[in-house]
Amino acid sequence: MRPTQEASAGTEDRSDALVRVRPAGRLTVSVRTRTGPMYEEHIASLVRQALRGYGVDGAHVEVGEEGAYDHVILARLEAALARSLGSEELFRSALPVVDRTPTSRSRLRRSRLYVPGGGARLLAFADSFGPDCLLLDLEDAVALPEKDSARFLVRRVLATMDFGRTELWVRINPLDAGGADDLALVVGSRPHGICLPKAEDPAQVLALADLLASLEEAYSVPWPLWIMPIIESPRGVLAAADIARAAERVACLAFGAEDYTREVGARRSWETLLWARSQLVASAKASGVQASDTVYPNVEDEEGLRDEAQRARDLGFDGKGVIHPLQIGIVHGAFAPSAEEVAWARGAVEAAVAAAKEGRGVIAYQGRMIDRPVLERAKRILAQVGEGSDAD
Amino acid sequence: MPTNALGREIPEEVAGRTLRPYQGAFVTIPAGRRAGGPLKTIRPGADKVASSLEEAIRRSGLRDGMTISFHHSFRDGDRLVLPVVDACARLGIGDLRLFATALFPCHEPLVRYIQEGVLTRIEGSLNGPIGAFVSQGGKLKEPPILRSHGGRWRAVACGEVGIDVAFIAASEADPYGNANGINGPHACGPISFSVIDSWCADHVVVVTDNLVPYPAVPPTIEQGYVDQVVVVDQVGDPAGIVTGTLRVTRSPTQLKIADLAVRAVEAAGLVRNGMGFQAGAGGISLAAQEILARRMKATGVRAAFAIGGTTRYLVAMLNEGLVGTILDGQAFDEEAIVSHRTNPRHQPMTPGFYADYNSLGCATYLLDFAFLGGTEVDLEFNVNVNTHSDGQLLHGIGGHQDVASGAGVTVITLPTLRGRVPMIRDQVTTVTTPGEVIDLVVTERGIAVNPRRADLAADLRRAGLPVRTLAEMKEEAERLVGAGKKPLFGDEIVGVIQWRDGTVIDVVRKVEGWQ
Repeated sequence: MRPTQEASAGTEDRSDALVRVRPAGRLTVSVRTRTGPMYEEHIASLVRQALRGYGVDGAHVEVGEEGAYDHVILARLEAALARSLGSEELFRSALPVVDRTPTSRSRLRRSRLYVPGGGARLLAFADSFGPDCLLLDLEDAVALPEKDSARFLVRRVLATMDFGRTELWVRINPLDAGGADDLALVVGSRPHGICLPKAEDPAQVLALADLLASLEEAYSVPWPLWIMPIIESPRGVLAAADIARAAERVACLAFGAEDYTREVGARRSWETLLWARSQLVASAKASGVQASDTVYPNVEDEEGLRDEAQRARDLGFDGKGVIHPLQIGIVHGAFAPSAEEVAWARGAVEAAVAAAKEGRGVIAYQGRMIDRPVLERAKRILAQVGEGSDAD
Repeated sequence: MPTNALGREIPEEVAGRTLRPYQGAFVTIPAGRRAGGPLKTIRPGADKVASSLEEAIRRSGLRDGMTISFHHSFRDGDRLVLPVVDACARLGIGDLRLFATALFPCHEPLVRYIQEGVLTRIEGSLNGPIGAFVSQGGKLKEPPILRSHGGRWRAVACGEVGIDVAFIAASEADPYGNANGINGPHACGPISFSVIDSWCADHVVVVTDNLVPYPAVPPTIEQGYVDQVVVVDQVGDPAGIVTGTLRVTRSPTQLKIADLAVRAVEAAGLVRNGMGFQAGAGGISLAAQEILARRMKATGVRAAFAIGGTTRYLVAMLNEGLVGTILDGQAFDEEAIVSHRTNPRHQPMTPGFYADYNSLGCATYLLDFAFLGGTEVDLEFNVNVNTHSDGQLLHGIGGHQDVASGAGVTVITLPTLRGRVPMIRDQVTTVTTPGEVIDLVVTERGIAVNPRRADLAADLRRAGLPVRTLAEMKEEAERLVGAGKKPLFGDEIVGVIQWRDGTVIDVVRKVEGWQ
C-alpha cells in the first residue's frame, strides 16, 4: 500500500514529534533527533517496522523529534498516514496493551485528573501523577483540527504506559461530533471507562452503551467499560436520575459547573450551584452510582480548593475533578474519612468477621444491621487509610 | 590502567601532572602547611591606581606561561575575563593558564584565543560552549581540571594551583584596593570566591567601574593584599546573573518531584526548629524550597540557617522569619544582592568557610538536608553533574560535592527522562559525586533510598511515600524510549574531575564514536 497524498501530524513542541508522509515508490525514512546518534537508528527502525506492519511499501517518511517517546512517534506516524489515506479504517484494531486489570463499579474515585489528549508534553509524565482516575480528554482540551491526531495519541498512550492503580478514562467528543470515531480507536487500548460529555438524555447513554458493547466484542476487551456521564447543563441536571439509571455501565455521575453556570446565567459560587450539586448527588445515590464534583479552576488557590472539596464531600460527593497534579493530594485529603468513620468501619468489619466465624448470617454493629453495601462501604473506608484490601 | 575506589580508570598522570585516585569521600588526610603570597610592603603615599587594564597587566609582570584568575560572581554577565585575555593578546602574552572559578556562555569568544595559543590551559567550571569546545579534544596543552567551590579554595590554599595574577571584578572599590560586590550600580553580590586568590596570588589587580573615596566597605577584598586598582567602563552586567534555571518551575512533573522531596525530609523528621538546609538554584530545587517554606509557615517551624546561592525565594524566607540567617557565597538575582546590602542576617561567606576539605569547619557539614540536581544518576547512587549522556562536558561542579558530602540527608531530584533521554543509568557517564554521600534520589516515579540508609527507608514507608528502587524506575523509563546507544570513548582525556580533597574521582574522555 502506498499513500498518495502528502500529509503530516504532530508538532515541533517539546516531547512531541512532527511526522511527514510523502508519496514515494519505495520506503525511505529520515530521522532528525535531538539526541543525535543515541536514538537515530532506534527511531528509524521503529518507524520502518510500523510501516511494514501496516503494509506500507512505498512512502517517504520524515520524523523530527523533540524528545518524543516511541509511542508518541508511532501515534504521529499513524495520524499522518490516516490523513494521507483519508481514512482511519486501517488503525481500527487492537494494539498490544500493557498489563491492566479491571476496576470495580464502586471503587475509590476521589480525584479525576483531566489531561489534554492532544499534547505530548503533558502526557509525557501522565503515568506518574497517581490520581484515582485519569481522564484523557479528547473533547474540550483539543482543538478541532487536531481531534484525529489526539485520538491516535490517546490510543497509543493507553496501550503503552503503565498507570499502576489509576483508573483510566477517555472523555470522548459527543457521539454525533467525532465521539464514535474516538471510540473506534481508543476502546481497543482498554481504558476502564468512557466519559460522556454534555449528557442530557438517557438515550445518549444507551447509544454509547450499545457502541461499547460491539467494540468490546470486536476488540476482545476483557471487561465492560464503565460510563461516566458528565452533567453540565440545566437539562442534564434535571434528567440526572434517568441518566444514572440508563445503563448498568454507569459508574459515576460527574458535575461540570463551567457550562452549567453559563447556560443558566449564574455567577459561580457555592450557593448558586448548591441546588444543582444536591440534585446531582441525590440522583446518583438514588440510582446506586457515585457522584463526582466539578473541577476547581484556580490552580494557585489551594485553600479554596480544600474548602470546596470538603464541602463537596460533606454534601455526599465521592470525589472531585482536578486540573493539576498538585491538586490531587489536597482532594484526597479532603475526601479522607474522619477518625469517627474509620473507628466505625473497623468495628463494622470486625463484627462481620465475628459473625462469619460464628456462622451467623445477620451482622449487627452498634445496634444497627450491617448489610452488604454497608459492609463494602466500611471496607472502602479502611482501604482509604491503608487498612485491609483495596476497594478493587 | 589503575582504577579509583569507584572503579573508574584514572591514568597515573596526564600531561605531566600526577593524578591521585579517589579513595573515598573522607579518606585523604592532608599534610603540609597553607600556601600564601609573597611578602611585600608599601610606603605611605604610594598610588595603586593604574590607568588601564593593559598598563596594569604590564606592571604586574605577567609573562608567557603564567596563570591568571577570576571569580564568576557576574556569571553570564561577566565583562572582565574577555577584556583581560584580549589585552594579554595585544601585549603579545600567550600560553596562559586561565583559572576562573567558572566560565559561562558569554565567554564563547575565548575559543578564538584558545585557537591562537593565547590560552593553552583552563582550570575551573566550564558551563556551555567552552565545555562543548574542549570536549572535542586536542585544543589545550592539558585537559581542564574541574573542581568544586570548596575544591578550588583548597587547591589555591594548599599551593596546588599557583596564581600569578588575580583579576578581581568589584562593583565598588577604593583607590587603596578595598573592594566588594554588593555596592555600586553594577552590584553582583558577594565576591568571596576571590578572597583566597587575593591571599595567595603573586599579584592582585582589583578592577572596578565604581571607584569610591576611601574606605570602600565592606572590604571583602582587603587593601593589604591588593597591588593595583583599575577603573573600567563596566565591570559586569548584573542582568547576566539571572539565567534560565533560576526560577520556580511550572511543570507539573518537576513540582511533583519537588513535593515528594519535601515530604521525604519531613518524613525523616528533619523539618524542625533550628534546622539548616540548602537548596540549589535549579528549577526543582527552587520549587522544593518554596513548598518547604509553605509547610514551615503552616507548622511554625523555623530554620536556624540556610546556605545559598541565594534567590529571591530564599530572601523571602529570611524576611518572613522562616530562616534565621542566610550564609551565602553567591547571589543569583537582584533581590539577593539587595538583601546582602541591607540585611545583616544575610551573611556573605567564602568557600573556605563552607566547603574547604582542608579545614576544621565547613558550614555544609551542619546541614540537616539539601536538595541537589544532576544530569544523571546510576544504580550505585553516583551522580553526574558535569557531562550529558552523549559525553559532552557542559557543566561545572559548583558546590555539589561539598554540599552532598556535608548534608545529613542529601536529596537528588531529577526526572527519569529529559526529553527522551533516560537519567537513571547503569553507570553514570561521569562521576561527579559518589553514591557514598547521596541518601535519596527523588524522581516523578518515586523515591530511591540508598541501601546505606535503611533508617530512612523505614521513615519514608511509614509516611506512605513511594519507596522504589533505581532499577525499577530505570526500567520503567526505558520501556518508553529504549536504552539508546552509548558513546564510545577514546583514550584522549578532555577533562579531569577532582573530588573536593584533590584526588581524581573521574576523567572525561573524548567521544570517538557510538556503539
